[in-house]
Amino acid sequence: MTAPPQLRAGPGPGGAGTAAAVIRTDALTKRYTSEVTALDGLTVTFAPGITGLVGANGAGKSTLIKILLGLLPPTSGWAVVLGHDVAASGERIRTLTGYMPEHDCLPPDVTGTEFATHLGRMSGLPATAAKERAAESLRHVGLYEERYRQVGTYSTGMKQRVKLAQALVGDPRLLLLDEPTIGLDPAGRRSMLDLISRIGTEFGISIVVASHLLGEIEQICDQLVVIDGGKLLRSDTMTSFTQVSQVLVIEVDEGTAALAAELAARGLEPRRSGRGLLVRIDGDVTYDAVRDTVADLGLPLNRLEQQRRRVEELFRDTGDEEERDDR
Amino acid sequence: MTADNGALSPAGTGVIHDLGYRHYDGPRLGRAGIIRALCWHSLRSAFGIGRGAKAKIVPILMFALMCLPAVVNAVAVARAPGHVRIVDYDTYLYRLRSLVMLIFVAAQAPELVSRDLRSHVLPLYLSRPVRRLDYPLAKLAAFTAACLLVLEIPLIVLYLGTIVSAGGGSAVWAETRALIPGMLVAALWAVLLAAIGLVLASLTGRRAYATGVIAIYLFLTWTLSSILVGIAQEGPFKQAAGPPLGARLGGLISPFTVLDGVRQWLGGTSPGPIPPPGSVGFLYGVMFGVLLAASLAGLAARYRRVGAA
Repeated sequence: MTAPPQLRAGPGPGGAGTAAAVIRTDALTKRYTSEVTALDGLTVTFAPGITGLVGANGAGKSTLIKILLGLLPPTSGWAVVLGHDVAASGERIRTLTGYMPEHDCLPPDVTGTEFATHLGRMSGLPATAAKERAAESLRHVGLYEERYRQVGTYSTGMKQRVKLAQALVGDPRLLLLDEPTIGLDPAGRRSMLDLISRIGTEFGISIVVASHLLGEIEQICDQLVVIDGGKLLRSDTMTSFTQVSQVLVIEVDEGTAALAAELAARGLEPRRSGRGLLVRIDGDVTYDAVRDTVADLGLPLNRLEQQRRRVEELFRDTGDEEERDDR
Repeated sequence: MTADNGALSPAGTGVIHDLGYRHYDGPRLGRAGIIRALCWHSLRSAFGIGRGAKAKIVPILMFALMCLPAVVNAVAVARAPGHVRIVDYDTYLYRLRSLVMLIFVAAQAPELVSRDLRSHVLPLYLSRPVRRLDYPLAKLAAFTAACLLVLEIPLIVLYLGTIVSAGGGSAVWAETRALIPGMLVAALWAVLLAAIGLVLASLTGRRAYATGVIAIYLFLTWTLSSILVGIAQEGPFKQAAGPPLGARLGGLISPFTVLDGVRQWLGGTSPGPIPPPGSVGFLYGVMFGVLLAASLAGLAARYRRVGAA
């Protein structure tokens, strides 16, 4: 368990430093019954940009989203969304926030335009503005051609896009997307992620993407918040998750065993890893030693680079002191 | 917020191929405005407006059927000047009115609430800047208004059809004085039947089931009340001095006869489906209150739970 970063000792919601964060929670707890605890003392900050909210099914992602929308009162603790306290200003938050639920929520017998327009009205847009924004939202999600078709005739991918369009129609400053790629094939997932990435970077809308598939959303996120059993596992920027490690990867087309023996002889303690060798880096000396060894043996060098961590490996090894070297 | 969005950058480049994302900075309606918009949307859908042609058949047919006696009356009094009005304002052919309202409520209440339950669209409403009970509130207001239109417009047609053939101001005044209590009674009908219809429809997302539940409830209780009243009145309990107690209480079972009991308790004198309740008239007022309160409480309880999970 890592200590959450940038914790403030402020007395409650609305303290200094709210402006920078899109969402802040402090000791947020939700108990449904004495046995069922959905959120357990969650303290975390969501920065502007795209944040992945990662956790297994039942980790508390959907509960957190409902609390952030002001739809579910927390048992204890507090949360602030876009500077507004969820307990007191739910309506204000819902004016500024678009929500895409995980489950199917589409009436089959209306057209995409009718659906998005109606929900635009429900977001508080006057009739004409709702029509315009519905058309624009549908265009942005790539449903312009199909907007006069009944939603019931849409493919799964198109249905997910309509759900996204209705979240976008009220021009939110924050989007809460609950499992937006669920039920999609790989190509559909790819294009949905591209779309979310585009909305986050080009439209200037902060996004929280809840997903149980880490490998998928890590590609588009600026920040990751990982929860498990209602508790914070880790929260950090994407760059620190995938930071370059102090390990060198060496791959040669042949003679790996000879290279390993020679490196060991020079005191570098190589480890086998797949087709390559791993060597701990002690500054430029290591690079020089490896270069010289490979050159001396006359081996065809295929790869020589600092190892990058994949995020998934980190979660497997959470708590391993080696992973947190320079933080 | 990140201010460096793409919407600002193309300016000045002179190439316009994509306007990009534009933020909305126009006016926004508050909570009351959103409720009004939902109410208007629901009122339209109660008559199938904004839906396909098929959705309009039942509401339009029921409305036309309800207007029929008023139109017949207008023709009748026009042909024979001085002829008395053939339909009462306060009871308005109660058999027809009950039947029409039974079908209208059973068919259209599910249109307003069951469809949304079926497609699980409620989380989307709840994520809007309204409160949890604003949704049933808007639906109730819309459906009450829809029932009011079906009940009151025929009365106005009846009134207009009568006064154009009426002789003189005093006759018009007499008609007006008869119309007003009639419209009040119709309003009671609309309020109670809309609430009962919506709470029953909100029990299930399946439209056909919802229609069935409403129709069965209204029809069974109506039949039961009629049978009880009939037995008490015509059976061995028949008394010389006014209707027996059983006949006067029998109407408490069905919303339709409860409404007629309230009418008579409030002073309505036209003959109705149940005998004058007399001293137990207040019970009809109590029953009206109980049915209405139970329906509203049920609706609130239902929508407090729905979407909370």
